[in-house]
Amino acid sequence: MRAVDRQHRVLVTGMGVVSPLGSNLSSNLRSLVNAIDAVTPVTTFDVTKTRCKTAAQIPDGWLEDAPMRLRSAYRLHRGARMAGMALREACDSAKGPRPELIVVGTTSGGMSFGETYYRRLLATKSRKGFARLAGNYTPQKSVLDALEANRLRIPAQIVANACSSGANAIGHGFELVSHGLRACVICGGYDPLCELVFVGFDSLQAATPEKIRPFDKNRSGMVLGEGAAFLILESERYAAHRGATALAEIVGYGVSTDTYHLTQPHPSGIGPKLAMQRALESAGLAAGAIDYVNAHGTATIFNDATEGAAISELCERVPVSSTKSMMGHALGAAGAIEAVFSVLALCEQFLPANINFAEPDPSWKFNVIGNSSRAGSVDHALSNSIGFGGTNATLILKRI
Amino acid sequence: MNLFIQGIAAVTPLGPTAPETWLALCQGQQAPRRLIANAVADRKYFACTVPGKFVSGAARQPRLRRSGTLSLLAAAAGFDAFADAGVKPGGGSSDRIAVVFAICSGGVNYTRRFYHEIVTQGANAASPLLFPETVYNAAASHLAALLDVDGQSYTLVGDSSVGLSALHFATELLVMQPELNHCLVVGTEEVDWILSDAFASWRMATNKDQFEVYGRASGTIFGEGAAAVLIGRSGVLQISRSSPGRPFFSVRDSESVAAELFGSLLAEESPEMIVSSANGTFADEVERKVFGKLFSSVPVYAPKPAVGEALGASALFQVAVAGLALRHQRLPGTLSAGLRLPSVNRKTRSFPATNALVTCVGFNQQVNAMNLRLT
Repeated sequence: MRAVDRQHRVLVTGMGVVSPLGSNLSSNLRSLVNAIDAVTPVTTFDVTKTRCKTAAQIPDGWLEDAPMRLRSAYRLHRGARMAGMALREACDSAKGPRPELIVVGTTSGGMSFGETYYRRLLATKSRKGFARLAGNYTPQKSVLDALEANRLRIPAQIVANACSSGANAIGHGFELVSHGLRACVICGGYDPLCELVFVGFDSLQAATPEKIRPFDKNRSGMVLGEGAAFLILESERYAAHRGATALAEIVGYGVSTDTYHLTQPHPSGIGPKLAMQRALESAGLAAGAIDYVNAHGTATIFNDATEGAAISELCERVPVSSTKSMMGHALGAAGAIEAVFSVLALCEQFLPANINFAEPDPSWKFNVIGNSSRAGSVDHALSNSIGFGGTNATLILKRI
Repeated sequence: MNLFIQGIAAVTPLGPTAPETWLALCQGQQAPRRLIANAVADRKYFACTVPGKFVSGAARQPRLRRSGTLSLLAAAAGFDAFADAGVKPGGGSSDRIAVVFAICSGGVNYTRRFYHEIVTQGANAASPLLFPETVYNAAASHLAALLDVDGQSYTLVGDSSVGLSALHFATELLVMQPELNHCLVVGTEEVDWILSDAFASWRMATNKDQFEVYGRASGTIFGEGAAAVLIGRSGVLQISRSSPGRPFFSVRDSESVAAELFGSLLAEESPEMIVSSANGTFADEVERKVFGKLFSSVPVYAPKPAVGEALGASALFQVAVAGLALRHQRLPGTLSAGLRLPSVNRKTRSFPATNALVTCVGFNQQVNAMNLRLT
């Protein structure tokens, strides 16, 4: 979609986040500014036989505040609790939005309940507790639980485009509002950590036994994270009508599908490059207008090589960081969490860090921000998300 | 904006193509029930599976050599939808086609096998060949690659109503993006004993080889397959109304939510036929009550007793059936229909009609509907 075709400005009027960096916006901001490393040894399942033994995890204690009905709270998946908390914060911060739709990205939903189901099947013939596991395992159930807990009876579109899901969800919501099909949409993503996905990335040798070092010459792979984030998107007219305060504006969205391979991006970087180009066209901006790139930056050899090539080609000398260096890769939630982080960068005028960075890769021209956050003038932030299956999504956000 | 279904495709346990499946439905055929055993807990279920020969063409694609049943089914249906529309994919139009997938359980065979390896042999023995195919959007990725689509590809997940949500999502893309010519919407699902086992824990799957709709809700039998529709900007089968669906938070309020949604889609006209989602679960009773209130004299056809409950594929299969019924001016008879819904269509008959309603009451708290009109 070109900027000239857009009928409405799309404002972010509220947001909420739960991540390993914090249980709300203010604690996440504090951790970002202080460049906290939230990666710790995995405690929720056995990692004795995996190469990678760390992840960024949300302490269960943080989720006790989830706004779930007492009657059924014990049944719910922790993904529902994360989503419920982030959704509540987003709605509270937007001060009474009237959303018509929620678009949510996820990759594995309540998969850990499926894992428990299978382990119990192997261990016992009793079916006690199976209904709870089966009923709350599906990706949509956590979303519906989060909606119910927040007393929102609205349609849900759940996007599972692997690691670009969260950005795709926000992008679709952006387009719906900008075209006047909806006045107010909640967008975001959630993904809790689970064993199957952890082992999956480990089996592909995409996960590292070392520290995650995005864009470092000696990077060795990713670590996983988890979390949930939601943004309230409203048309400018609707936001003004109800007196809402805007935090930022979404101005561009671009997607592409890289058909090269199911798990490997095309080495040329054509996938992310096309998504970034389409987002810039959608925003009506030249690449030089971008002040900060929140990169997908998983620290795998392939991802950073291709994304780095694309950023280098389009946004030479731009400051770049991957906040996954601090909180790992939250998969379907990553694009949403990173969009929230980009809004925080716009609001607070700072550049988040790219920790564990030691040696630049000489093949790239951009400026990796490094181990500390720093003050910076940020009018436009670009956030990339790249996923299995060749899905690429780019969002461009603007300071108000 | 007027949007139309230009191409219809289906790969089902009854046939490798939509025309063959349609013929079988009209002849009153029921897909064979195959016994699938829960090897772990020694429980047995029946399922309607798609014979391997139905997807042998797709299986010859190099890209799909390691992929699961799900991707083969999707590829076969996706290409057939283009062929039915007389549209050739690729050839410089790769960014003018979007792909939207509807999935419920996804690659459940590979997922179970992968996790079984983790549990029984250890994480270090888990196969890196299996894991990528467990990702929900694997089938969409393969099909986009085969069609040479480099633009938009979305996979939507949900319960058995997700196909209608995906169809609505596709209409949103076409409405917002005039540069798009077509949107291919594909719903696909594969069976596995663990799926039946999980649903049986909610008493929504039966271990018998038959189930009744609009009768005693004793549980469903799962099926597999794929259905696809190609949506474009001209044609004769108009999508007159669609919806992203509505959630319900208890079975108690599902009826009012469904009534509100079904009624809102038909503010100006009444349907002449309904293709319903009845599957032998609580959903039947919800539909029965709403149909009784809103459309008591409209004939209802429920295809699931013939082909099984194919979850992510089922709603789009209902859309395909509605489209074929309008095309052929014929309505198949519902197999194994109980006595609780007097308006159920029990025998295949010629049926001149221009307006069909497709309804879905999902098992996981989502309802949806769409309206198809022959122009």
